Amino acid sequence: MSTTSKKIATGLLAGIMTLSLAACGSGNTGKNNAQATNGGGGADNGGSGGKKVTIELALSKSSQDSAFVAQDVLDEFEQKTNIKVNLQLLPAEQTATVLQTKLAVDEVPDLIQYNLASATTDLNLERNFEILDNEPWVSRLLNKDVLSAYDHIYSFHYSQDTGMQGVVYNKDIFKDLGLEIPKNYEEFLAVCEKIKASGITPVFMPFKDNWAANIWPAAAFADWAAKNDPTLFDDINAGRKKWSDIPEFATFLDQQYEVYKKGYTNTDILSDSYDMAVGKFLNKETAMMFMGDWLIVNVAEKDPNVHLGLFAIPTSEDANLGASPLGGQLFIPKKAKHMAEAKQFLEFLASKEVAQKMVDSQGSVSNFSDVTTPKLPDYKQEIVDQYITPKKTTLTTDAYMIVDRSELYRLLQDEFAGGLDAKGVLKAWDEKFSQLMKDKGVEGF
Amino acid sequence: MNVSKKLYAYYLIWPALLIYSIFFVLPALAGLYYSFTDWRLDRDTIKFIGWDNFERIFTDRTLLLAIKNTAIFAVVTVIGKNLLGIALAVGLNMRLKTRNLLRAVFYSPSILSVLVISIVFTPMLRSDGTINRIFEAVGLSSLSQAWLTNPAIVIWTVAAVSIWQHTGFQMAIYLAGLQSISKEYYEAATIDGAGSWRSFRSITLPLLLPAININLMLTLIGGLKVFSEVFVLTGGGPGNASQVVGTIILRSFGEGSWGLGTAVNTLLFAAVTIIAIPLLIFMRRKEVSE
Repeated sequence: MSTTSKKIATGLLAGIMTLSLAACGSGNTGKNNAQATNGGGGADNGGSGGKKVTIELALSKSSQDSAFVAQDVLDEFEQKTNIKVNLQLLPAEQTATVLQTKLAVDEVPDLIQYNLASATTDLNLERNFEILDNEPWVSRLLNKDVLSAYDHIYSFHYSQDTGMQGVVYNKDIFKDLGLEIPKNYEEFLAVCEKIKASGITPVFMPFKDNWAANIWPAAAFADWAAKNDPTLFDDINAGRKKWSDIPEFATFLDQQYEVYKKGYTNTDILSDSYDMAVGKFLNKETAMMFMGDWLIVNVAEKDPNVHLGLFAIPTSEDANLGASPLGGQLFIPKKAKHMAEAKQFLEFLASKEVAQKMVDSQGSVSNFSDVTTPKLPDYKQEIVDQYITPKKTTLTTDAYMIVDRSELYRLLQDEFAGGLDAKGVLKAWDEKFSQLMKDKGVEGF
Repeated sequence: MNVSKKLYAYYLIWPALLIYSIFFVLPALAGLYYSFTDWRLDRDTIKFIGWDNFERIFTDRTLLLAIKNTAIFAVVTVIGKNLLGIALAVGLNMRLKTRNLLRAVFYSPSILSVLVISIVFTPMLRSDGTINRIFEAVGLSSLSQAWLTNPAIVIWTVAAVSIWQHTGFQMAIYLAGLQSISKEYYEAATIDGAGSWRSFRSITLPLLLPAININLMLTLIGGLKVFSEVFVLTGGGPGNASQVVGTIILRSFGEGSWGLGTAVNTLLFAAVTIIAIPLLIFMRRKEVSE
């Protein structure tokens, strides 16, 4: 090696070492910041004795637009209390796994945004999370049920809306083509045919995200059970009945598959994902999608001139709209390092002023007696008028399942990949469901 | 040298041995223990359940499919990466003006993150993606496929992407091996009238065996432990069509079945050991020295 080369090599090596040391240093600093204790200053009415505290809030990356974590809300909280909220954005597809691991090894964040129904199945609600029954904001709640499980309040939300699930549709396309909302499956196919003839894709199926394939059956199964066999899910959860015992369930799965087989959907349904949906509606490439009303909010944020609505999954005559038990509530782990500060954050969000600001910006139905529900967006008012007020909603199947549902989603995807037919899906789910219930130690399995 | 001086050398091993024991041996033993338990997220107690987890692995059809897929991926990538690696190395060991550039070009995919590869390949492999459009443009539209969503071929597609990405790395090892072979052997073979193929078969291959052994081991172990390629390209789907042992471990943990997850992991460790070590011993015996 020449002298010049040696000098270059030495310089490079020194540079790399310097960078490594700097990286180590910055890592420590970051950790200290995240763990929270340095600094001072700020407001003097904080709950941490003038000392700056950072609390950790973990949430799925797909929920980063949640009203709870809007920057102005976090800034105001920090200014008032001297408590900083640090966000841990978890990859959407790994949120459950990461949180389970964190809870298992006691590396818990101070707050978690998750949904109540899944927290009961995925995160062992009773063992891992703080009961919030005695928090000051609880006495102002209008509907405690949407935040409760096992007779206790485990979660926080300013709104009592549950996500409504059905067929999101473009009202303008329907109007242009002179279409009516279909009241049964045959009418739905006829609507699809007319939309297809106009050159627009009738239904967008983003089944690369396998959970999206569950919107249709989750509403259809629950609607059928509510009308024909109200104790069905209790029987299934006790091992007295199986999913495959209900022939109508296979019919519902066949219906969704038929919509695809008849060519009423995008071609590459297993390659297309949910994040493409907003673009499809903005560009009027598609007229309908089996989804929740959150899609309507996402589209309206991009273009308020695209008019979308929601109707019930038309599996049978006069079907009810699916009401999802899912949503993005806040939970405090029992082993949170900054329990008091985490509760203080919930109290701040629940304050009349902040909660009012959030329900106004989100067009939500308030869950606090002293917070006024604003004028609802058109689509939501229609849902209230057509489904909620006349009591034509049914909690979707997810509300009744106490085990991880991801294998069911995979099986649904498998139907569209050609690996299983509808009966095969239900039979395979019976086997997996039975195993999961057995693992959970549920009697009857 | 007296005994104490001899022992002194071993004292230096202790810190490394201690760290190795804490961070590898102990967790591995703990994992072995937990694979015989019903360790779950939603249970406060952990119960020893003997071979139950292992029995379940061999009766669950998704797990069996994952084992089959892992085997297909391992065999296909071992063959593909090594055959192509040798071919590229031999070609780029010749006196080409552009050989340094080409070596860099072929090696470069192996330094990219699998995530980047996924972002590049996912749209290319769609039904309306670049690959199928190329087939259509050259009149081979019958070869068009839903590469990542057809259950019959998805694992082969993932294997092909992995071969594309890592062959350059194998090529680099083979190049190093080729450059250690003395040119005198080839000169002597030429004088004796041996052609290129004969020289390759009788000189290159035998003397390249140490490099072949290393590459076989690396690709086999990598193939059996495959996770990231499948995870980012297909997530194990569509349905469960491309599940491999690695993604099943993740799935088991996701379902809260940690005992089962560690059992699958233990099984993978055992499989890698049982397959790799005898192969290594066998291949070592075949090696010749110059």
